[in-house]
Amino acid sequence: MELAMQTLSAVIMIGLVMATVLLHVAYLTYFERKILGHMQDRLGPMEVGYHGLLQPIADGLKLFFKEDIIPTGANKIIFSLAPVLSLVTALIAFAVIPFGTGEVSFFGLKFKPYITDINIGILYILAISSIGAYGVLLGGWASNSKYSLLGGLRSAAQMISYELALGLSLVGVLLLAGSLSVLKIGEAQAGGFWNWYAFSLPFPQIVAFVIYIIAAVAETNRLPFDLPEAESELVAGFFTEYSGMRFAFYFLAEYANMIVVSCIGAVVFFGAWHAPFPFLEFSWPSVGIWHIFWFVGKVYFFLFFFIWIRGTLPRLRYDQLMKLGWKIMLPLALANILITASLAYIVNAYM
Amino acid sequence: MAFKSFLKNVFFVEILKGLALTFRHLFARSVTLQYPKEKRILPAGSRGIMSLLRYADGTERCVGCSLCEIACPSNVIKVISAEEEGQPLKRYAKEYTFDVTRCVFCGFCVEACPVDALAMTPVYEYAVYDKRDLFFDKEKLLAMGDRYFPVQAKKPAYIGSCESELFLLTAKSKGYPTKASEDQPLP
Repeated sequence: MELAMQTLSAVIMIGLVMATVLLHVAYLTYFERKILGHMQDRLGPMEVGYHGLLQPIADGLKLFFKEDIIPTGANKIIFSLAPVLSLVTALIAFAVIPFGTGEVSFFGLKFKPYITDINIGILYILAISSIGAYGVLLGGWASNSKYSLLGGLRSAAQMISYELALGLSLVGVLLLAGSLSVLKIGEAQAGGFWNWYAFSLPFPQIVAFVIYIIAAVAETNRLPFDLPEAESELVAGFFTEYSGMRFAFYFLAEYANMIVVSCIGAVVFFGAWHAPFPFLEFSWPSVGIWHIFWFVGKVYFFLFFFIWIRGTLPRLRYDQLMKLGWKIMLPLALANILITASLAYIVNAYM
Repeated sequence: MAFKSFLKNVFFVEILKGLALTFRHLFARSVTLQYPKEKRILPAGSRGIMSLLRYADGTERCVGCSLCEIACPSNVIKVISAEEEGQPLKRYAKEYTFDVTRCVFCGFCVEACPVDALAMTPVYEYAVYDKRDLFFDKEKLLAMGDRYFPVQAKKPAYIGSCESELFLLTAKSKGYPTKASEDQPLP
């Protein structure tokens, strides 16, 4: 009976998180178009609904009813599986992301604002996001198109290069927190922004934070690192041949990945669900709601930053991308780990 | 200097400048015009479809001289001139056709017209389902003129009136000057 209750509450929670995430993913496209539009002195979507608010729904409906085209010579099985692989890996990363703390019970079912807390949470997210690269690579290969193949290959090279820097930039925080559990890392940063790992003394991880942001933009294939789908060079990169629902899957996967990296950035460097100042930790109507509010606020700050970067910077050349990844980001991340580890050892041993 | 530029690179100075610029533009007034709902206020003298004008008494201004046809760079205008019955000196355009699809809106026809019979209306929204609807004949052009230039000038007394015929008759009776002399300068 206990097990059945737990399973039921877990299933409801999964449904809730998925629905929330997909809604946010859909409206992220709207915010991106609006913000980019206004940055370029345009208006963005204005026609569907009040100020274009129903635009994501209209786009989704359009993509649903589009004809499903599989190009001749394409590998049908892999062609149809690749977008699913991309989307699923993007979405299951949300399993370990804590949106807040606390517990709510309804009719004997207990709900927490996260699906599960596993003790290797960060490792799990990194592993899952690596599988996402296969979705892009296989989709590019199975399309039987030059542009798709080139886009897929570029994406594979880029993701591998930047995943190293991404993973290594998190190691400093993992050393300080002494845990891979996302929840524990979040809990360790309570009480004001000076306790967040990006700024916390004695070893502020600000360098790691900057490396993380750059690598995260590259990891999600967004401007200025959007070489896998560079429009002016590769039509649309790995999803040139995709249309309808499969295209929508890739699209959703890209935006879901954006949200995932924003969530990790918020949890690991920006104090997860804690308010920036202790006096902002309100307890009315409930502590849990304010935790979710601060978490979502931080995530949206990151998302806005990604869109802002997209509206500002031009695309890198391919060799510049590789040079930045291997010659600058990776040594910097390693140096950061070295310094953090030695300082942490010295402080623990002698002070 | 090298150290300064190194510091600039480390602290992303150039990128931050760019970010500040885009952030300022986020709150700038957008230049978009929601076209079918909002329309631009056209400047005076903007040139759209051409139209034919009338005098205040309802008679056509056009005298069928075909100068507009000659001035037109894209051969849009076709004029067939005719005599008014019983008045051999008075001519008018029996047919006047104008192809809007090929018009380049240069306004040369308006400049060429000696009697100010033509004018450019500010009409630029003339999408139709049938392209043949844009082949305007005289009636359509006159209707355009009536609609967009409702204030019509009075017809000068000497055109098509008995005074003008009298003037022409006296001029003919005097005879045309054959040689310009110094004591009789040309009028």
